[in-house]
Order: sequence, then structure tokens, then C-alpha cells
Amino acid sequence: MTTTTRTTTATATPAVAFEQVGKSYGDVRAVDGLTLALHPGETVALLGPNGAGKSTTLDLLLGLRPPDTGTVRVFGGSPREAIVAGRVGAMLQSGGLMEEVTVEELVRLHCDLHPRPYPVRDVLARAGIAQIADRKVDKLSGGQAQRVRFALATAGDSDLIVLDEPTTGMDVSARQSFWATMREQADQGRTVLFATHYLEEADAVADRVLVLHRGRLLADGTAAEIKAKAGARRISFDLEGTIDEAALRGLPFLTSLDVSGHTVRIQSADADATVHALYGLGVYPRNLEVAGLGLEQAFVALTAAEEAKQS
Amino acid sequence: MKSLVKLEITRALRNRKFLFFSVIYPSVIFLLVSGGYGGTDRIDGTGLTVATYMMVSMASFGALTAVLMGNSERIAKERESGWVRQLRLTPLPGRGYVLAKTASAAVVSLPSIVVVFLVAAAVKHVRLDAWQWLALTGVIWIGSLVFAALGVALGYLASGDAVRPVTMITYFGLSILGGLWMPTTTFPKWLQDIASWMPTHAYAALGRAIEESHTPQARDIVLLAAFFALFTGGAAWLYRKDTLKA
Repeated sequence: MTTTTRTTTATATPAVAFEQVGKSYGDVRAVDGLTLALHPGETVALLGPNGAGKSTTLDLLLGLRPPDTGTVRVFGGSPREAIVAGRVGAMLQSGGLMEEVTVEELVRLHCDLHPRPYPVRDVLARAGIAQIADRKVDKLSGGQAQRVRFALATAGDSDLIVLDEPTTGMDVSARQSFWATMREQADQGRTVLFATHYLEEADAVADRVLVLHRGRLLADGTAAEIKAKAGARRISFDLEGTIDEAALRGLPFLTSLDVSGHTVRIQSADADATVHALYGLGVYPRNLEVAGLGLEQAFVALTAAEEAKQS
Repeated sequence: MKSLVKLEITRALRNRKFLFFSVIYPSVIFLLVSGGYGGTDRIDGTGLTVATYMMVSMASFGALTAVLMGNSERIAKERESGWVRQLRLTPLPGRGYVLAKTASAAVVSLPSIVVVFLVAAAVKHVRLDAWQWLALTGVIWIGSLVFAALGVALGYLASGDAVRPVTMITYFGLSILGGLWMPTTTFPKWLQDIASWMPTHAYAALGRAIEESHTPQARDIVLLAAFFALFTGGAAWLYRKDTLKA
């Protein structure tokens, strides 16, 4: 528990609570019976391929669309109530900016609209856009526009910050400084939820990763747990003589097996246990290697497993 | 909400092309149309000189331009760009956006009315009592709210490339059929019958009643009120539909 003025106990009202939420567009179920809770102070990544339902989930969370079924609560009330109370700052990919005004005028507007605003100058500085404050909004590059959106999302003292693919259009160094700024927000005890398909970002920034696939929650845990869940270690070795595939398939924690010639490749959820059992088979593996899977591969494995299960 | 109103007004006043069209253009047409007539030529069926008659027409036309043209296109564009969505992430009440748009249109429409009056008085020697000038300004300005509501409705109805032609057709249709460009008395009978149902016709008729020191006709007031109800109702309905979709 952090010692900020914000409520950060797990027993407090969740920052966000989805209860059996469903949303369809025509025949497409964008969000399908989604239940989840975000606790105050968490930094959570919402991970999924395009079309997984990330944007719809954020729209529902922010009250931009009503759910077809189920309920969405933000700090115990409706999303709109939370926004009106200034508890939510959000940055959407689809959020446009007012044209023909300067960056500073636009930021000032958002400070004026927030019930607990920060000084305009601080907001500009924090978002790294003080030097372009006088520029017209229509004349910004993609990365600059993203920074302006971030400034608008942090114009006041909000408790929850929601970001939809925030680093789109930024180069590597801009991305790094963006996440440094974001961490400051999280360190002040804010709840941060961001959607991303940059898996390294979820891995590096988030305390908790929610994997969304076809509108459903596929996995919920730390990045390390997600990796483990998808058989996150790769073991490879060579065997001489005929290979008893059935015996290998019986190894504990094995999630996939691939034999080509004398080379065996295994994915395992618990590499230590798998290797231990391997020696127990009485074989003599040579050139044994155990390597971690990146979150990206873990993620591919998870969604592939889900698709296999459904077909 | 005040800050959005302020920013919308600043932005409208910064847009020179828009200002030219809504503030200067009606006065130019006024001079062109009334230029060929002498000071004593009168419009058939009224006791008004051409200049006096056309002054109300063009002041109404200027106000119509200011409130209809800017808003419908801006709203359609901003719905598409996602600015309307962005605003919904702030504590601004939903109606705030539309109110700010209407307020900024009203700020531009006032000078467009007054400039026509100044030009008419200075160049064409139109003379009215002080109360008539004030009442005319007030009626034309407040009456323009009917068309501001229409502008909002069109902005939520049409999108993308469609909004400009739709607005243009509505704008010219209302201006010409309502008799803002030329008196409807010059129209054939069947067209006069249609024209008499135009909200712009009733709008300009209110101004003319003041010039002639008549009480305005109840029919014009009712017609205008009915159109106001229709346009605001339509705008509110389209706005709500858009909110559920976005």
C-alpha cells in the first residue's frame, strides 16, 4: 500500500468494475460477457490484437457507448458521473482536437473544464509541449498531437487515467520519455489503464496485464504469469537413436512438442519440472537449452490456443 | 462551459473568410440590389422603399449566413475528427458544445446585421425611428436562433462530403424562396404560395412589420415558432442518436 492521499486498499471500491458486460455491433460481439475489476493504484495493460475489443472496452468504461448487457461502474458510480467529478482523465486514439486554436488555448480549455485543474504551464511542461504552446493544433505532427492528447488527459488531478495506444506515432525516444512521464502519474497513486499492442510496453510498464481476445478476457495476471500461462519457456535438445514421442508428450507442464530429426523443441510452463522429468525418462539429452519466451510469443501462444479450442 | 464559448468565439473571429462572408457580403449584395433604384421606388404591396425593404432582407440573409453556414459544416467535421468524442471525456455537459456553437454564431451574426443597417443608413439614406432600429436588430438577431438550430441539426444529419452541398442547398433554397434576395411579389402565384410557408419568409416579414410600424402577423410568429420547435427537436434527436453511436 502506498502512502498517498488516494485510497489504495484492495478492499476499497474498485476504480473500475465490469460485470458481465456485453456489446455487439450487428452480428459482431465486440465485448462478450466481460467481468473485471481494476483496483486503485494499479497500472494495468489491456493487451490484444486488433479487433480484440480493446477500444470498445475503453468506450464502455468511459461511457461513450452504453453496454447492451451488464453494468460498468467507475469508482462505484456511472462512467459519466466519474468524468463529471473529474476523477477520470482519458486519451483516445479516436479523440480529435479542436482546430484553428493554439495548443495552449486547447490545454487551457481542458484545465478550465476540470474541477481540480493544474496550472496550464505545468500541464504543458509535463507533457513536453511547452515549446509548441503557440503552435496551431492543425499544424502538429502525429507524435506532437499524441502529447497534446496526453496533456488534455492530465489537465487536472484525476484518479484514473485511461490511455488508448498512447505511443502511436511516437519515435523510440519520445516513447521512452512518455512512459517515464506516465510512471510519475502512477507513482502518485493513480490508477492507470492503457491499451496497447506494443507488447514490450505492457511487459515493461504494467503491474498487471489483461489479455483480451474476441471480446473476452483470456488472461489476467502479471506479465510473468501471462508468459508462464502460455508455456513461457522453450526447451530444446538433441536425442540420439529413435525418439519415443509418446513418452516426451507425457512430460509434466509441457504445452507443445516439436520433433524434427534428432532435435526436440518443447514449450513448458515450468521448465525446471519438465527438465527434471526428462532425465527421469532415462534418456541423455545433448545441447540442452532453456530460454524464456517474450511476452509477444506468449501472447501468440495464448490466442492460438484459444482459437484451437474454439474450432 | 464559459471557457468553451470564449474559445469558440475567438476562433470564429479569427476566421477571416467566414467573417467576410457573413459580415461584409450581405452589405455588398444590398448595395448591388438596391443600387439601381431611386430613393422613392417602392415595393409592390408594401409602403416600403426598395432600400428599406432590401435592408431587412439582407440583414436577415446576413444573420442566416452567420448562423447556418459555419455551424453545420464545423459540427459535421468535428464529429468526424473525434473532437466531439474528446469533449465527452470532460465534465462539460452534453449541451455545452451545441450552446457554444450557437453563441459563437450569434456573436458573428450581430455585426452582420448592424453593418447592413449602417450601410443602408449611410449610403441609401434609410431613416427609421430609434425604437425601430433597436427592435429590428433585436428581432432579426433573436430570430436567427431558428436557423442556428437548423445549422446544428444539419451538422448532425449530414457528414463528410455531404454536409457542404446539403447546407448550400438549404441555404440558397431558404434565401431565395423566402424572398431574401428578391421580393416574393415578383414570383409567379404558385411559387408565392410555397414561399409564404418558408421560415425565412416569416422571419423577414417580422422585420418589415417593424419598419411599417405594424403589429407583426400572428401567422408569421406561429410559423417561426413551429420551425424553431421542429429544428431544435430535430437537432436534439440527432444529437442523442449520434451520442449512442459514437
